[in-house]
Amino acid sequence: MKINFITIPSLIFIFIVSIFFYLLLIDRDPSEIPSVLIDKKIPEFKTNYLSKNEIFISPENFSNRITLVNFFATWCKPCRDEHKYIKELSKKMEIEIIGINYKDDAKKTIKWLNELGNPYSDVIVDKNGKIGIEWGVYGIPETFIVDSNKKIQFRHVGPINKKILKNINLKINEIKKND
Amino acid sequence: MKLKKMIKKYFTLFFSFIILILLSNYTYSVEPEEFLKNKEQETLAREITKNIRCLVCQNQSIDDSDATLAKDLRILVRSKVKEGKSKKEIYNFLTARYGDFILLNPPLNKSTYLLWFLPIAFLLIGIYVIYKFSRLSKKL
Repeated sequence: MKINFITIPSLIFIFIVSIFFYLLLIDRDPSEIPSVLIDKKIPEFKTNYLSKNEIFISPENFSNRITLVNFFATWCKPCRDEHKYIKELSKKMEIEIIGINYKDDAKKTIKWLNELGNPYSDVIVDKNGKIGIEWGVYGIPETFIVDSNKKIQFRHVGPINKKILKNINLKINEIKKND
Repeated sequence: MKLKKMIKKYFTLFFSFIILILLSNYTYSVEPEEFLKNKEQETLAREITKNIRCLVCQNQSIDDSDATLAKDLRILVRSKVKEGKSKKEIYNFLTARYGDFILLNPPLNKSTYLLWFLPIAFLLIGIYVIYKFSRLSKKL
C-alpha cells in the first residue's frame, strides 16, 4: 500500500517531465501552426497579374504540373534572403513557380524582380491580403507545394534556407513518384 | 495633521493610478472607421473577434492586436457579419483556413480531448492522493 502511494505520483511526474524533455530535444518550432489545407484543393480566387493585363483564376489557371506557390513582398526582408533559393528551384524544369505579391506596390515589385532576377512563371497580385487569408497565410514569406491534381501537399512558413530547400526537393520527388 | 494630509495625498495619487489602469482596458486596437453602424451587428462582430486568435502574436485576440493580419481579419469578420453570416458560419470559414488554433476557445474534438479532460483527470488523482494521505496519517 505504501509503495503504491509514493510510486504512482512519482511515475506520473517522471512521465510528464520526460514529455517536456522530449519536446525540448526534438527539432520543432512551437510557434509554427500546421496548415489545415494539406491534402485539400487549392482555394478559389480571382486576381490580376503583376505585369499582364489579364485576370488570373484559381484553380483554372494552375497548370497540371507540380507548382510552387510563394507569397512574397518587396517590403519583407526575409523574402529577399530566400530569393536565391527560389531561383535555384526555378531551374527545375518539371515545376512551375507562382509568386503571389502580398500587399505591395507593383512598380516596386517590378524593379525588385529586375534587380534580383525573376524566378516566377507568373506573378499575381494580392493587393489587400484576401488571397493570403484564403491560403491560411499568417506571416510571409510562405511557400506551398501544389501537386498535379491541384491539391496542397506542403506548406512552409518563413524564409527558405538550405535545409528547407532540401525538404522541398524531397517533397517534390515524393509527389512525382506518387503521380 | 500633517500626516493626515500626506496620507490623503498618497491616497488620491494611488486611486487616480488605479483608475488610469482600469481605463486602459477600454482602449482597443479597433480603429474607428472599422466599426459597423448597426449596433447589433457591431456587438456580434465584437463577440466573434474577441474569440479569434491573432496568429502573429498568438496570445492576443484580433480584437486586441495591432498586427496588420489582425486588422484584415477584423475587417473580414465585419464584412461577413454585414452579409448576414452567422457566428458559426464565420468560425467555420476561419477554421477551414487556419485550423481550430485560430479559436481562443477551442472546441471539443479528438485532438483536444487531452486539453479538456486532463485537468479533470489531475483533479481526480489529486483527490485520490489526498484521500489516501489522510487515511495514512490517521493510521499513524
